[in-house]
Amino acid sequence: MDNKTQASMNRHHQSKWTLRNIILIALIAIFTGIIFWGAGFLYTALTVALTPIGGAPFANDLLMGLWCMAGPLTGFVVRTFGSAFVGEFLGAAVEVFLGGQWGAGAFISGIVQGIGSELGFAFTGYKRYDWVSLNASIFTTVIVTFAWDMIKNGYNKFGIPLLLALFVTRYISTFIFGGVLTKMIVKLLDRSNAFSL
Amino acid sequence: MNPGLKLLLVMAIALEISFTQSLIVNVILIIASFGYILIHRISFKALLGLILWPFFPALGLFVSQWLYGTAGIHFAWILFTRIYAYVFLGATFTLTSSITDLALTLEQDFRLPSKFAYGVLAAFNLMPKINEEVKIIKTSALMRGEALHFWSPKLYFKAILSSIQWSQNLAEAMTSHGFVEDQKRTHYRVIRITGLDWSWFIGLFAIVQGLLFFIRY
Repeated sequence: MDNKTQASMNRHHQSKWTLRNIILIALIAIFTGIIFWGAGFLYTALTVALTPIGGAPFANDLLMGLWCMAGPLTGFVVRTFGSAFVGEFLGAAVEVFLGGQWGAGAFISGIVQGIGSELGFAFTGYKRYDWVSLNASIFTTVIVTFAWDMIKNGYNKFGIPLLLALFVTRYISTFIFGGVLTKMIVKLLDRSNAFSL
Repeated sequence: MNPGLKLLLVMAIALEISFTQSLIVNVILIIASFGYILIHRISFKALLGLILWPFFPALGLFVSQWLYGTAGIHFAWILFTRIYAYVFLGATFTLTSSITDLALTLEQDFRLPSKFAYGVLAAFNLMPKINEEVKIIKTSALMRGEALHFWSPKLYFKAILSSIQWSQNLAEAMTSHGFVEDQKRTHYRVIRITGLDWSWFIGLFAIVQGLLFFIRY
């Protein structure tokens, strides 16, 4: 079997909720959680830099894609209903237990981001695992998390221009980290046949 | 208090204060949680971190709302205190409950399938090792003159490869220790939700409802 057919076969595999897959999802979530933890100073630095001009919410939106990466990753590695949600939620839970800046808020953000991530895969029926389903997941993630920030972080009290700027920032961030970076990672995994392990 | 119920309570209150706008209730929640944490004698360093780190996002939200928001400074203060309320509410759970107890109660009392409870618990217990593995991946890349950052696909790729290998090992280890998926288990340590737990849960939740209902400022 040449590489190409092998790869396309892997792309069609379906996963189940086995003990091993549950551990796998949790491990990936913790790994990504710890990697972002290392980038945590970036958020604080950005916030501090942007606060004097009142642009602190941009720090949140700039890094949103990073925080929403565990969902698409686990969704791609374990291809079944709920895996993106569980991965994203556990990723947020890791931040709480590491002693993050958001406390109980991170649990709820994790649920919101998880739903956003999961919806994209749900819309493509857990059948497609390609650029289309990834983009669907990005789209739903941005919409759902932005709606949540309208309420939680008081975005609904901002004017339309600022709101639009924040939305675009979030979309670009999610596209780069949740989309392009995830695609590159999946490609590496595909090339090494990791999906059939 | 039972860790599962405590988590549920904390999340319910956090969700509620996201939708309601009461400065005073936020402050009351912060003070009450702060008192609860103090009683449990946490380290001074952890306490300082709890106060210091949220200050930046809280101040950031405050300033932007103050400058560009249409709802005035009162709303800006609500957002400021909301961040602290989240953090201290969360701390009442994370600083005083163990992940093991949470997993046990979720399995025994909340009907979470045991493969989820023990699978996730097994992964969480590997946290120090995962931390080390991230350092190893970065260091070994450095030896080849390659710096891996949080935007490097290779870093995640290697992390996922480790996850695949470890998950296989862990699952096999659990199976060889007699863990059978989807089978009824007996428990060495039994955690029950007591009547006292329920009274605390319902009582505290009711108090918060009352506060939110009567204090609108």
